[in-house]
Amino acid sequence: MMKLLKSLSSKKSELPVVAEPKMKRGSISARDVEISFSNDEQNHIAATDINLDIKSGEFVCLLGPSGCGKSTLLNAVAGFIQANAGTLTQDGKAITGPGRDRGMVFQSHSLFPWKTVLGNIMHGPLMSGQSRINAEGTARTFLELVGLSAYANSYPKVLSGGMKQRVGIARALANYPSVLMMDEPFGALDAQTRLMMQEELLKLWDDLKITVLFVTHDIDEAIFLADRVIVMSASPGRLIADIKIDLPRPRNSDAALSLEFLAFKRQCSLLIREQTLAAFDQQH
Amino acid sequence: MNLKFNYNIIAQFSSIPLFLLLWQWVSDAEIVNPLLFPPPTRVAEAFYRWATDGPLIMDAAMSVSRVVVGFTLGSVVGIIVGILTGRYQLVASFLTPIFGILRPIPPIAFVPLVILWFGLSEGGKYFLIFWGVFFTVWIATHLGVQRVDQTYIRAARCLGTPEHRMLSQVLFPGSLPFIFVGLRTSVSIAFYTLVAAELAGAFSGVVYRIDIAQQNLQIGQVMAGLLILGFMSAIADKLFSVITQRIGWWE
Repeated sequence: MMKLLKSLSSKKSELPVVAEPKMKRGSISARDVEISFSNDEQNHIAATDINLDIKSGEFVCLLGPSGCGKSTLLNAVAGFIQANAGTLTQDGKAITGPGRDRGMVFQSHSLFPWKTVLGNIMHGPLMSGQSRINAEGTARTFLELVGLSAYANSYPKVLSGGMKQRVGIARALANYPSVLMMDEPFGALDAQTRLMMQEELLKLWDDLKITVLFVTHDIDEAIFLADRVIVMSASPGRLIADIKIDLPRPRNSDAALSLEFLAFKRQCSLLIREQTLAAFDQQH
Repeated sequence: MNLKFNYNIIAQFSSIPLFLLLWQWVSDAEIVNPLLFPPPTRVAEAFYRWATDGPLIMDAAMSVSRVVVGFTLGSVVGIIVGILTGRYQLVASFLTPIFGILRPIPPIAFVPLVILWFGLSEGGKYFLIFWGVFFTVWIATHLGVQRVDQTYIRAARCLGTPEHRMLSQVLFPGSLPFIFVGLRTSVSIAFYTLVAAELAGAFSGVVYRIDIAQQNLQIGQVMAGLLILGFMSAIADKLFSVITQRIGWWE
């Protein structure tokens, strides 16, 4: 009898089933941050005077015209580049480089093509020293969460653009990051897929309530997703508006047709238009 | 199936028999000295005697083992050094000038030195083939690593990949398509170098046997040896082309 029990329990550890994942909900804080980069021996200021607080469990969209430095700011939060002034912190700790507590979803999905879907999601847990069995359990949980369990052993090349981004999201989440950063993740998708992905992302967020910093130049996308839309000015990037989007949740595609939505859209559009014209004048 | 297609098949299947017939005729008609240019029948006979009474198996095994050992050493070291120079600018800055001097020297030119260093031992043969293979694999790996998409490296850093595992988890698989081009090129280099290595002094091996046969004016065996060498090299190349097709399975 004991033997049977033992064999049963050992069987169980081979079939890891992780219940609803317990996510961290971290915060990001920027104080007087300035980021510059140099090329052609010239120093360009990409973003300046950045003061920002992203609270635990908040969905924040960073909205701005292209080239305004919003991706640069995100890269600084990711730790790929260093701010040359001010302080940038995650959960109170200064950000000094990329790390597993800040997960990232890229526009160019960037899944490792030589690894299977499951292998891609297992990568983070494995790198943090988890055993293969645990890492696989974690990976399967998140793969299930994005609805792609059937593709566990496929290579990324057979997936559609939307599916690749779902795997990218699962891969970032499998590390249980404090903050999920998304750099125009749906920018390369067709309009229908993009709408579907936005709804799915919101559903996922409603379940997990993680902290998200989402960069986009698409006004509808920003308003549809965010708790707060932060509008960035043309280069050098400054934060010029912080708009609280109090549309009811859960939101579905109908939300984008409400009068409140349109009011937010008008507000953002005017700001973006102003900034785009300013950027245009700068260049000409 | 049309007529043109049939002609192609006929041409393909008749080319070698016709070539052999022509060769037989040129030799038999004594248009050239048949002692120096024996007919294919004599080559086949020499091959048969070499295989049955002679040490063909031993010779082939020795030649293959030299290629395998030298090639493996050169590839492994070439891949490791290539990953390091491709990833770390400091290592590249240090090694590139040295390799810049050594790489253009034809490996065959090392034969006199190798004889002094290694005598007629197997070590010398391994060294020559290693030398020929190493630089080609190194360059291919180096370029491959530098062409690994930066977003893969960024993604890996974001996922908490420590630097030493970055090499094996991202840079090596990411540069495999390049590495395999280098390896395939090196296979034929390994066989070139084998020729020099065995001519420089050996006690067995296909090229060594060709050399001995030449001294005894056994031209039939010389030609049989050449065909064996070509055959071995072709098999190795074919093997690599099959592996190469599989290695980029993700693309």
